[in-house]
Parts: sequence; structure tokens; C-alpha cells
Amino acid sequence: MLLFRHPLGLRHRFGPRRLLDLIKTGHASLGMPRLLRTTSFRMTLLYAGLFTVSVLLLLAVILWFSTAYIAEQIDRTVFNEIVEIVTETEGRGLQGLRDAVSPLAEKAPPGVYYLLQDNAGTVLAGNMPRVKPVLGVWTWAPPGTGKRIERAGRIVRGRGVPVAEGGYLFVGLDGFELGEMQETITRSFVVILAATIMLALAGGAVMSLGLQRRVEAISRTSRDIVAGDLGRRIAIRGTDDEFDHLAASLNAMLDRIESLMQGLREVSSDIAHDLRTPLSRLRQRLELARRRALSVETLHEALDASIADVDAILDTFGALLRIAQIEAHTKAAGFAELDMSEMLQAMVEAYQTVAEERGQMLAGDIEAGLWLVGDRELLPQLFSNLIENAIRHCPSGARIELAAHLRAGGIEVDVADDGPGIPADLTEKVLQRFFRLERSRTTPGTGLGLSLAAAIAGLHRTRLDLSDKRPGLRIRLLFPR
Amino acid sequence: MKILLMEDERETAGYVAQGLQEEGHLLSVAEDGRDGLFRATGEDWDLLIVDRMLPVLDGVAVVRTLRAGNIMTPVLFLTTLGGVGDRVVGLNAGGDDYLVKPFAFAELVARVTALGRRRTTMAAETVLRVADLEMDLLGRTVRRGKQPVELQPREFRLLEYLMRHAGEVVTRTMLLENVWDFHFDPRTNLVESHISRLRSKIAGQDAPELINTVRGAGYCIRAPV
Repeated sequence: MLLFRHPLGLRHRFGPRRLLDLIKTGHASLGMPRLLRTTSFRMTLLYAGLFTVSVLLLLAVILWFSTAYIAEQIDRTVFNEIVEIVTETEGRGLQGLRDAVSPLAEKAPPGVYYLLQDNAGTVLAGNMPRVKPVLGVWTWAPPGTGKRIERAGRIVRGRGVPVAEGGYLFVGLDGFELGEMQETITRSFVVILAATIMLALAGGAVMSLGLQRRVEAISRTSRDIVAGDLGRRIAIRGTDDEFDHLAASLNAMLDRIESLMQGLREVSSDIAHDLRTPLSRLRQRLELARRRALSVETLHEALDASIADVDAILDTFGALLRIAQIEAHTKAAGFAELDMSEMLQAMVEAYQTVAEERGQMLAGDIEAGLWLVGDRELLPQLFSNLIENAIRHCPSGARIELAAHLRAGGIEVDVADDGPGIPADLTEKVLQRFFRLERSRTTPGTGLGLSLAAAIAGLHRTRLDLSDKRPGLRIRLLFPR
Repeated sequence: MKILLMEDERETAGYVAQGLQEEGHLLSVAEDGRDGLFRATGEDWDLLIVDRMLPVLDGVAVVRTLRAGNIMTPVLFLTTLGGVGDRVVGLNAGGDDYLVKPFAFAELVARVTALGRRRTTMAAETVLRVADLEMDLLGRTVRRGKQPVELQPREFRLLEYLMRHAGEVVTRTMLLENVWDFHFDPRTNLVESHISRLRSKIAGQDAPELINTVRGAGYCIRAPV
């Protein structure tokens, strides 16, 4: 309400509407509704509103306290005046009081009121009309006439006391100072409030535009990516602020997605390629049998061979599905505590016979009491794949060793052989699906054994670390504790 | 055996039913889980073959309900390719065995036979005998005729499994699962090499071969005819 009584012209010159107009014309490209729709600008408006309320609250509190303070001042002055008058005229009755009050009332500066009445209510002295004698502090509104017209509406605050012979003395001061003070306070608050709202809106607009620009950059990049430009990344400003962090996280996510997409593309073409060969072989075989098989025996033979072909294809499919499922297993669902030493010992025992048949030597160097939380079905498959990989790719006379020891970082398991090894530049490649070294192209196998092992290792928070043992290959796994 | 097959895929159901009928079993087919559950509780069966993915009520739920109702008919689960952890869920639900589709028919027959027999010979045996081969389960010793045979623990388990299923075909996969606890297919001749080593250990002088290879199916230990 005060705001409207003291407009100060601000509202007309720099009111919010004008500010918004300014922003509108200054950034015509953005358009007003756009700015209003941004979260940060809405926040700004909210904060500006809250701030206005708090400023008004503060104003009310200050007004209230200052009013109380001035009233107290008035009360004290009035009281002192009364005490002085009464003490001065002590024992001289109403007449004495009248003599004392009359000059005071005549010479009273504007805003100071004196009144002395007798018990009949007749004014004996004073510069105000007769009143109903009220004792104690009370307020009186002087009629707005004569030369006091400018004080119209002011309220006179004073104290009435009983004096000798049933008389009544009232001394009062009008709230001129109070009004002045209230006006000053209100005026400054209006300025503060206007400045606050202006700053808040301007700051909010600037901030929103800045934020919007950065968010816009991110969504523009996203749209480009959606449109097919997978290589696009969000620019990082190097300010290390939350937007940079967000951009970095999003970029990392995009990298991951891109590499997965890449992997997927490769896998699909690999699957197509790797399955085409056995499928076309199968087809030839069936066609040949259809044309040439003259006896039931030869037909059966052809069918058996075809079933074996189909089984091999199904094996590949099974392995692929298994890898996909293991890789999708983010949660270690079937994990339980298991005795790794016992499990590895059993693996060595199981494969020793196989190795010996091929003239190879499989030895275990396994520390006892290695416990691990892992998957009881997948871990044997992991080690089985590694051991079989060594057995199948090493010539007769090779020595294969499975070692497991407790190290600082966890349980370290080595599968090492002294066979032909893998060229250093291919150590990463052999873990990829369907990758097979040139020399093993002709041996049976899906080319998925190590990929599957790598997937199982990944599920157990470890990886296959391939290194050249000179001669031979060492695959090391460190299972974190 | 009287077998109830719960399988919604007509072609698979027909293939399994026909094959097992040819083996001399009596087959009934339920096409969804609710029907299967209803019939499994209503009649007396020797074996239930349950597909894991059934319409209306899935296989695991069917078996869980049956077991909760104290119906202990042996259950063979069928599942699709490559399920990691599926086997454990199936066995925990109360399944007795697990077979991954597609399977060789010989594999199914061998498992059906093994499960059917499980019911009749639950009595605790302490000595297993096949011809002149004798296994003392308490003393953990094996003898061929009068000749003691030294076996490693795993070889003992292999022979024990074969002898417990004497006269039946035991597949390579069954051996891998039950003797080595391997639930995958090794790329090497793991089973073959252990079998050949076992054969040479129990081979007596001039004694006939007991462990027979069944082509395209597996192994069978039996007294020579």
C-alpha cells in the first residue's frame, strides 16, 4: 500500500515490465516466452517475490519498532513536562496551574498541546479544545482546521493527570517526528525494494541466458547425435564447473555407447560371416546326400555329419548368448563364497588326463585356502576355457601350469604355457569375439572361448591379462578381494 | 513310464512325445502351465517333463506349487539355449534335472531313464556290482575279480556314477554335470580321456570290457552277455 502512496516514479521508469521489454528487444532471437519458460528465470522470479516479501516484512518490523520508540520518547517528554508544571505550581491550586500553563500554551511550538480543565470540563488554559478527561496515556486527533491544516490526520499523543481541585491537565505532542521517520523509512525501503527487484530480474535474466546457452549447447549436440552424427561430443569449457562435469559424464557415456555400438556392429557382421561358412557347408552336405546317397548307410552318415554341423552352429549360438547374458549381468546374482583352491585343483585334476593324452604336461601350483565370492558355475568354465585354450594351441611336449596365490591385491591366478604364444600386437584382439589366429583357423572351435572367459572375468571384476612368457603365453587374472 | 509333458510348442511336444513313445513310454501333453499343474496333481505320474517358459503359469511356478503340495514326482526341466543361472533357479524350485534345448534325443532318453529309475532304487546301497567288478561304497574300494583297483577320487566318482546307472546309457553331459560339476561343454575330449583311463584301470587280464561306448549317445556299463 505504501508503495503506491510513494511511487517515486520508479515503477513507471524501471518497473518489471520495462525490464522485460528491455530483455525482449535486446535478445529478440530468444523471444520472451522462451526466457520465461526457463527454469532459472522462473527461479529468479520466485526469489524476487520472496525477497520482496522479506523486505516488506523488514519494513513492517522497523516501522513498528520505530513507532514504539518514538511513542516512548513522546511519553517521556510529556511526563517530564507534567512533572515540571505540577512541581512548579505545588500548593497554588488550579489558579497557579492556570498561570503556569497559559504562557506555555501560548508560546507552544506547533505540535505541542496543553490543556487545563476544571472538574466541570471548562477549559482554564491551553491550545486545544476541551476533551473528556481521560487519565494516563491516550491519543487525540486534532480537528484538521486553520493553520494546522498541514498537520491534518496527525495524531496527538499525550498524558492526562488529575490535578488540584478536581482539575485535569493534559500535555500532548503530535506525531510529527514519527510521521517524518516513517516516511523516510518507507521511502528508503521503496528504493531498496525497487532496486532489489530490478537487480534480481536483471541478474536472473543474465544467469538464465547463460545457463540456457550451455544447456542449449548440450541439447543441440544431443540432437545432432540423434540425427546420426555419433561422433559428436559436447564442448567442455575448461571452467571445471558443474556443466563441464555434466558434459564430461555425458561424453564418457557417449564414448561407451559408441564403442558398444561399434562392438555390436562388428559382432553382427562377425556372426553373419562366421555362421555363413558352416551353414553353407551344411547345405552342400545335405544337397550332396540328396543327390548321391544311394544306400541308407551313406544317407545316415550324411545325416550324422549334418547333425554335427548343426551342433557346431548351435554351440556358437549358445556361446554368443551366454556371453551376452554374462555381459548383461551387472549384478553378481548367483555369487556365493567358494573355495577357489579346491576348484582349481579339481580343474587341474580333470585336465591332466587330457593333457597327458596329448603328450603335454599340466601342473598345478595352487595355494590352499583361497576363498572367493564368485559364481560356482561360471568360474569353472572360465578356467576350463583357459586351460583348454592352452592344451589346444600347444604342441606335444608343452608344459602348462596353473598357479594361484594370494597377493596384496587379491587372488592371482596364472595360466601359463610354453607353447607358440600370441604376437604382442594381437593380445587384445584374441579376446574379441570370433577372433582366431591364422594358424588356428583350421582347428575346430567357435573362436569365442576367450571372449567368454573375458566376459566371466568381467563379471568377477577382473580381466584377462595376456602377456608373452617368452616362450609361451601367460594369462593372468587378479581377483580383487 | 507314464510321463506328463508340459510344452506349449506343438512341434517340440510332438517330437518329444513321439520319440519317448517309441522308447515304450506313455506320454500325455499339457499345453500350458495351469493345465499341466491341474493334471499333475490329478493323476499319478512317473515323471514330469516341464518346459520353463509356459503360457499362463510358467514352469518354475508349476513345479514350486507341486513341491509345496508335497507332490514329489521327478521333474525334468527343459529350457532354451544359453540361460545363465536358469539351471539353479529350476533346481531350487524343485526340479530334479535340467536339459537345454535343442538337445540330442539320446540325451533326453538317457535322462528320462535315469530319473525314472531314481524312484525305484532309492534304497541305500553299500556295494555296487557289475559282473565281476565290485565297488564298496563304505570302504571306498574297487575290485575286479580278486584284483584290487586303485582309483583317484574323481575316477571313483565316475565309476560310481556309471555303476549306479548300470545297464543304462549315461551321456557325456550327464557325466560332466554329475562327476565334474561342469555345466558347459568342454572343447576337449575330457570325458573320453577319463573314460579310457578308467577302462584301462579296471581292465583285468582277459576280462571282458564292461564300459561300452554307445555311439551318438554316451556310455553304458553292463555285464557282458
